[in-house]
Amino acid sequence: MLGASPPQEEGFAPSEKLAGLLAAKRDDGGPWIGADERAYFDELPARAKMLFDQVAKTELVSEPEHLRQILSLRLPVAQIELFLNDKCVVCHSDPAVQDRPEMLLSTDPKAAGSPAHMDLRESVSDVHFRRGLSCAGCHGGNPDDDEMADEIYDRWPDADKRARDRAWIPKFCARCHADPAFMRGFAPALPTDQYAKYRESRHGQLLLGKRDSKAAQCVSCHGAHGIRGPQSPRSKVHPKQVPETCGACHADAEHMAGYRLPNGKPLPTDQLADFKKSVHGRALLERGDLGAPACNDCHGNHAALPPSITSIAQVCRTCHAANGEFFDGSKHKEAFDREGWPECIQCHGNHAVAKTDDSMLSEDHSPLCYDCHRENANDSEKCNSTAKYFHESITTLAQGSESLSALVTSFDERGLDAEPLSEVTQELHDVLKDTRSRVHASDRSEFDDVAKRGRELINQGRQLEQQAEAEYRFRTNGLRAALGVMVLLGILLYLKIRQIESRG
Amino acid sequence: MSDFRADQRLLKWLDERYGIAPLVEFLREKEVPVGGHPMVWYFLGGATLFFFTVQIMSGVMLLMYYQPGEQTAYESIRYIVTKVPFGWLVRSVHCWSAHLMITSLVIHMFSTMMLKSYRPPRELTWVTGFVLFSLTLGFGFSGYLLPWNELAFFATSVGTDSVKSLPLIGEWLLQVLRGGPDVTINTLYRFFALHVCVLPITLVGLVTVHLLLIQRQGMAPPIGEHQVARGIRFFPNFVLRDLLLWLTCLAALVTLALLLPFGPGIPGFDWELGQKADPLAPAYPGIKPEWYFLWIYQLLKEFPPHLFGLEGPQLCLLVVTGLMATWALIPWLDRHARHNEPSPAFSDFGVGAIFFLLFLMLKAWDIGGNAQNSPDGLPDPAAVARTCAWILIPVAAATTMLRVAVFRHRWFVLSGAEVLHVALHGLGGVSYLAAGAIAAALAAFVIGITLLRADGIRPGEGGRR
Repeated sequence: MLGASPPQEEGFAPSEKLAGLLAAKRDDGGPWIGADERAYFDELPARAKMLFDQVAKTELVSEPEHLRQILSLRLPVAQIELFLNDKCVVCHSDPAVQDRPEMLLSTDPKAAGSPAHMDLRESVSDVHFRRGLSCAGCHGGNPDDDEMADEIYDRWPDADKRARDRAWIPKFCARCHADPAFMRGFAPALPTDQYAKYRESRHGQLLLGKRDSKAAQCVSCHGAHGIRGPQSPRSKVHPKQVPETCGACHADAEHMAGYRLPNGKPLPTDQLADFKKSVHGRALLERGDLGAPACNDCHGNHAALPPSITSIAQVCRTCHAANGEFFDGSKHKEAFDREGWPECIQCHGNHAVAKTDDSMLSEDHSPLCYDCHRENANDSEKCNSTAKYFHESITTLAQGSESLSALVTSFDERGLDAEPLSEVTQELHDVLKDTRSRVHASDRSEFDDVAKRGRELINQGRQLEQQAEAEYRFRTNGLRAALGVMVLLGILLYLKIRQIESRG
Repeated sequence: MSDFRADQRLLKWLDERYGIAPLVEFLREKEVPVGGHPMVWYFLGGATLFFFTVQIMSGVMLLMYYQPGEQTAYESIRYIVTKVPFGWLVRSVHCWSAHLMITSLVIHMFSTMMLKSYRPPRELTWVTGFVLFSLTLGFGFSGYLLPWNELAFFATSVGTDSVKSLPLIGEWLLQVLRGGPDVTINTLYRFFALHVCVLPITLVGLVTVHLLLIQRQGMAPPIGEHQVARGIRFFPNFVLRDLLLWLTCLAALVTLALLLPFGPGIPGFDWELGQKADPLAPAYPGIKPEWYFLWIYQLLKEFPPHLFGLEGPQLCLLVVTGLMATWALIPWLDRHARHNEPSPAFSDFGVGAIFFLLFLMLKAWDIGGNAQNSPDGLPDPAAVARTCAWILIPVAAATTMLRVAVFRHRWFVLSGAEVLHVALHGLGGVSYLAAGAIAAALAAFVIGITLLRADGIRPGEGGRR
C-alpha cells in the first residue's frame, strides 16, 4: 500500500509529544499503539511523519487512542496526508473532543455509540474523500480553520426539517453532479444528467412533486459517507448489490404500504424474492454473471419508471434481440397489439422469469399455448398443431443432440476419431438454439428453414456412428485374429520347449 | 556335403570367413543356473528389453508423422491418432509399452536387489543397470512433453522447476533444461532431441554393455552357492522360454492398447491428448507427474519451505540424491553379500524401500482425501495420510508374514522402522518428516546395539537352503 516513496529517515526525529503518544501505555500496561500500527508508522516517509508531529504539537491529536485509530486505517501515503491536513476529520475522529457520539467518526461506530454513517473507515474510503473533496465539500466551512464557521450551520436546513423533508438532497448533490464543467475536473466520463433524469422518474415525481420523503433520493441508494463507484463490489450500486439496495424499500411491505399500481391494486413487494429465483437473479447473484440484468437494467436507475406495456418488450429486446425480431414478424404480434398485451412477459413472466424449457410448448406439461388458443383463437386446430409440431421437432433435435454428444465421449474413450462427429454435434447445438428462437415467429416455414438442417445433421451423425462401429469391429476382430495367431505360436513354442527338455 | 543341413552350411560359411566357431561353442555350452529361487526373476530383464525394442520400433513409426513445433506438435499427434492408418494403435502401443517397460524394469531392479545378484563379481552390471534405470526415467520425462498438450506443458513446468533448488548450478541447469527461463517451444525442441537421439544412442550402447557383462559372467547363482548345482542350457532352452514370454508380453500389449487406448485412467498413468498447451493459460491445481515420479513429487510436498537453514526443496533433493547414491553403491555397502553370505539387513532395506515408495505414491493419489465433498475442493491431508496408512500397514503385515513363513526372514529393523514412520504419521498425526526422524533414530539405535554384539546380524536370514 505504501511503496509510493521509500522511507526517508534523514532528519526526522519525533517531538516529545509524538514520541510520548507512540509509547503510551494502557492502564493494563499494554501499549496503545500495537506492533502493526507502529510498523505502518515506521514505514511512512518523513514528510508524512512530520504531519503526525505537527498534529501532535498543536494537540489536534492529544490522546493515544485517537492516534491509534488514525494509524489503524493504514491509509496510503497520499491519503494520510489528506487526512492530517483536514482539521474537520482529525477533530471529529477524536473521542476526547467529541462528547456527542453522533458527531464522532469512529472506526467502530457501534461501540462508540455513533450512527452507522459515522464510520471513519468508510468515510475515508469515500470516492469524494479520496479525490480531496472531504467534509467541507458538502458540509461547508474551511478545513484549515480551528473553529467551526457559522456557514456550516447555515448551509443545510435544520436537522428536524432535514429529516422531515428530503427534497433538498437531489438538488444539493446536483450542484456539482449536474455541472459538466465542474465534473470534468474529477470524473470526465461520468454523465451529468442524473438530476434531470431523476426529476422525471417516479421517485423524483413523488419526492419533488408530492414532497413524499419516503421516495428514494441520492442518499437512499448511494449512501452518505462511504460512497463508492459502481465498479466497487462493496458499493451499494454494484450490479450484484442493486437488487438488495432496491429491495431495501421495495421488499418492505410496511414502507411500500399506500403505493398503488395504475389499476388501483396495492404495489406488490415480492419482486426481490421473485428476482432471486429467476434465471436472471441466479445468473447475477449465484454465478456472478455481471452480464445478467439487475433491477436497473430494465427499470432504469436515475430515471426509474415502471415500464409500460409498450416499453417492456423493448427492454427484453436489448438483450434478446433475435427472439424479438422473430416475434415482430409473427401473427402473435398483431394479436397481442390488438388485445394490448405486453409481449414477452405474457408467456415468460417478469421478475420471476424462469429458465425456458422445451416443455413450455407441450400440451401435457404446460398448457400455455393451448389455453390461450382456446380462449382467444377459437381453439384453432392449425395453431395448436403448429405448437405441437414445434414441440415434437425440438424434442427430436434435442434428444438427437444429447445422444450424439454422448457418442462423442464414447468415441473418445475407445480411441476412435471423434472429430467429424464432434463437428456435427456442435453445429446441431447451434441449430437447436436457432430453432428454439424461431418458435417466436410462430411460422412453420421459418422454423423449418433450420429444423430441416438439424434433421440432416442427426442423420449424418448416425452414419458416422455406423462407420465408427464398423471401424471398432474391425479393430476388435483384428485383435482376436492376432491373439489367435500368437496363442498358436505360443503353444508351438511351449511344445518345442517340452520336446527339447524331455530329450535332456 | 549334401547331407549337411542348410543352417550348418551357413555356420560353416560364416566360420570360414569370420571365425565364429568359439562364439557358437560359447552359446552351446552356456547355462543358466537353477537354484534356490524361482526362475521367473531371470526373465524380467528380457521383458524390459522386449518393451524397449517395441519402443524403438513404435517410436520410429511415430517419428514418420510427428513434427515438433508450436503449430505442429500437438496437431501432428492428433493427426496420428485420428487420420493415420493404425496411428492410434502405434501411439497407444508406444505409451503402454513405455509404462510396462518401466514397470518390468522396476521389478527387475528390485528382484536383483533382493537376490543380491549385485555382489562381486557383478557390481558393474548393477551400476550399468542403475544408469539404465535413470536414463529410462529421462525417456519418460522427455517424451511426456512431446504431444505439447496442456497437461504435459504444466507437468513439465512443475517438474523442471524443481531442479531450481539444486545448490549452485540449479538456476543454470533450469535454463539449460528449458532452453530459457520458462518452458517454451525451445524446451520441446531439446526434449525432442534428447528423446529421439541422445537417449536412444546412449541407452542402446549401455544396454549392449549390460548384456555383454551378463553374457560374459552368466546369471548370478543363488547366494551361498559358489558352484552352480545344476543349470539349464541358455540356447535353446532359455531363449525359447524368453521368446514365449515376449510373445505373451506382445499379446498383453496389443490387447491393452486396443481396449484402453489412453491408459487405465489412473492419475499419472494415462495419456489422453486433451487440449493443446497454452503457455499463457493459468496452471490448474492438482497437476501430477507420471506414476514413477510420484514419490519425489509427494516427498517435495512433505518438506516445509525452510528447514535447517536450507530451502525445503533443496533439502528434499539432497535426501533423494542420498537415497539414489546409496542404491547405486549397494554392491559395495553390502559386506555380507560380498562374502557370499546372506545379508538380511539389505533384504530388509529393499522391503523398507518398497514400503517407503508405496506409501508416498498412495499419498500422491490423495486416496481417502474426499476432495469432492470438501468446501475448497482440496483433499484433506490428514485423512489422506490416515487412509494410506490403513492401506500400507496391512500390506506390510502380510508381507512380513510371508517373509517369515516362506523365506524364513528374521531381520525387520528397517522395514519395521518404515511401518513405524507410516503409523506415526498417518495414525498418530505426527508430521511426515518428524515421524521419519523418530523412526530413523530408533532404527539407528537398534542397528547400533546389534552391531555392538559381535554376532549381530549373521544368524538372521536363512533363505531357502
